[in-house]
Amino acid sequence: MGAKFDKELEMLIRDKVISPEVAERIGEYYSTKDVEKPNRLFTIFGIFGALLIGSGIILMLAHNWDNFMRLTKTIIAFIPLIIGQGFTGFSILKKKSNTWKEASGTFLFFSVGATIALVSQIYNIPGELGSFLLTWIILCLPLIYVLRSHAVALLLVILSTYYALEVGLWSYRSNVIPWWYVIFLIIILPYYYMLLKKSVLGNPAAIFNWILPISITIALGTFIKHSEDLGFIMYITLFGLLYNIGRLPIFSEVRTLKNGSLIIGSLGTIISLMIFTFRWIWNDLPETFEYDLHGLYVSLTLLLLSTLVFGYTVFKNGIRAINLFQVAFVIFWIVYFFLSGNEILAVVLMNILVFTLGISAIKIGVDKFNFGILNYGLLIISILIICRFFDTGMSFVVRGLLFVLVGAGFFLANYVMLKKQERIKSIKKM
Amino acid sequence: MKPIYISIVFIIVILAQLGIPLKMIYDSEDTLMTGTVYKFKTQPIDPTDPFRGKYITLNFEMNSFDTLDSSYVYGDKIRVYIENDSNGFAVAKEISKEPLKINADYVMAKVVNNYNGKVVFELAFNRFYMKETKAYDAERAYLETNRDEIEDNVYALVYVKEGRSVLENVIIAGIPIQEYVE
Repeated sequence: MGAKFDKELEMLIRDKVISPEVAERIGEYYSTKDVEKPNRLFTIFGIFGALLIGSGIILMLAHNWDNFMRLTKTIIAFIPLIIGQGFTGFSILKKKSNTWKEASGTFLFFSVGATIALVSQIYNIPGELGSFLLTWIILCLPLIYVLRSHAVALLLVILSTYYALEVGLWSYRSNVIPWWYVIFLIIILPYYYMLLKKSVLGNPAAIFNWILPISITIALGTFIKHSEDLGFIMYITLFGLLYNIGRLPIFSEVRTLKNGSLIIGSLGTIISLMIFTFRWIWNDLPETFEYDLHGLYVSLTLLLLSTLVFGYTVFKNGIRAINLFQVAFVIFWIVYFFLSGNEILAVVLMNILVFTLGISAIKIGVDKFNFGILNYGLLIISILIICRFFDTGMSFVVRGLLFVLVGAGFFLANYVMLKKQERIKSIKKM
Repeated sequence: MKPIYISIVFIIVILAQLGIPLKMIYDSEDTLMTGTVYKFKTQPIDPTDPFRGKYITLNFEMNSFDTLDSSYVYGDKIRVYIENDSNGFAVAKEISKEPLKINADYVMAKVVNNYNGKVVFELAFNRFYMKETKAYDAERAYLETNRDEIEDNVYALVYVKEGRSVLENVIIAGIPIQEYVE
């Protein structure tokens, strides 16, 4: 038990809240509980250790040992891999703790990359970074399930994102679409689902709640290519999908800050829609949309997935639990494809949509007694008003007045809710 | 998953992790032992790869082929059929996207441009890994020898077999580049 915990117990005894006997029993209870719980800190240090050693080996190998014979270099190349496999095999066969599995898995992950890199180096094997990353990822993907390792899964998500960017965006004049990224994602997702099933409130789940949506958001950019006219559609639909995922019943107990899908989905929706409240963007849209077939497939797949997830949440939570954020992407599809010819109507509708989203965020905040969400809603409306200053010819008096009103709104809304909260607290006390 | 299945999957994974680099080694050794050696005139320059360390990039003199075929576009993977010229250096004989039935070795390349009846390509084996401290010196050494205008003094030794190619060494003024820069 920690020193802080002991001090707290001593204080409780001193203040006569509990008797020394009770304090002893509490101490005993927690010490037996701790024995069963694996040492989390130890696992984290194990992973970091393996991470540093692994990347250290890669750096050392990059030094390029000219003085050795080719055979010597080749044998050296396999040493980290065999050590990594040995440790991993040992932790599987001996059914070692998670710490062992996480650390050995992390080390093996790096040694696979190091060995392939070193062999390519020794024989000057040409090859693009993309194909090297692809081989590396494929050779490590099964480790996620064999070891049940969070660290390996996390590293693979990061490496897959890097692969998507390298192949789809960074290679000069690249026309390649990183479809392999989708396959990697399909392989990694069941692991995420298992993790959620096991402990949806835990920290590992929270990390994946954030890292997966971030990865997908980044990687989607590499799928746009020549379908720029569909780019916004793809992103807004993705944000709709993420928001709806964040609203799934499985996440209902998760704190908002740990619900990455919900936050990224919500912020993404607002930011993208905010861009479409400007008139110039509708002016810039071409008469007829140009896109590749694959761009259309990606957009339609995202639409289908978002609709399915939305339908499922409605089925589970009931129709009354729907909020506007969940369906904003559908409204955008309709406006973008059917009303973009009439730009004034489109702009007005977009402004109303963002305004209503702000209001609905305020309502969610009030209903949940959450000051964060309440102020988020107020912020949406404020930004919308500020944006309108740029493209409307309002006089300075009107603008000034609007600012004062918005500022007053912030104070008032927060004050009213604070009072309400205090009233409820005092009723509970009585 | 039952422990026995986990073990089986793990063994398959281990074998694949060992097998891929071993296959790379086998292919390279086979080419080095039984392939034909060609000399490619070249010019070394010095970038870095974040994972695979220091290398020099080789700019080969043989980097284009005259043809009026406009179907070659950026990114196309092509076969460059080669033969030796009178000075013993490799020259392009024919290029093609599909295998041709001619009696000549070929190397793989990527099309980077096609203009004025000229297809410009990049040979696949344009990387030569060196000790990190030497790569920059190698580039400088090349620039110096070039200033002396000694013809035919920088070339890459490449073993070729059935489209596979292994860059064995880079030679400056008759000696391997690693020794030359020392």
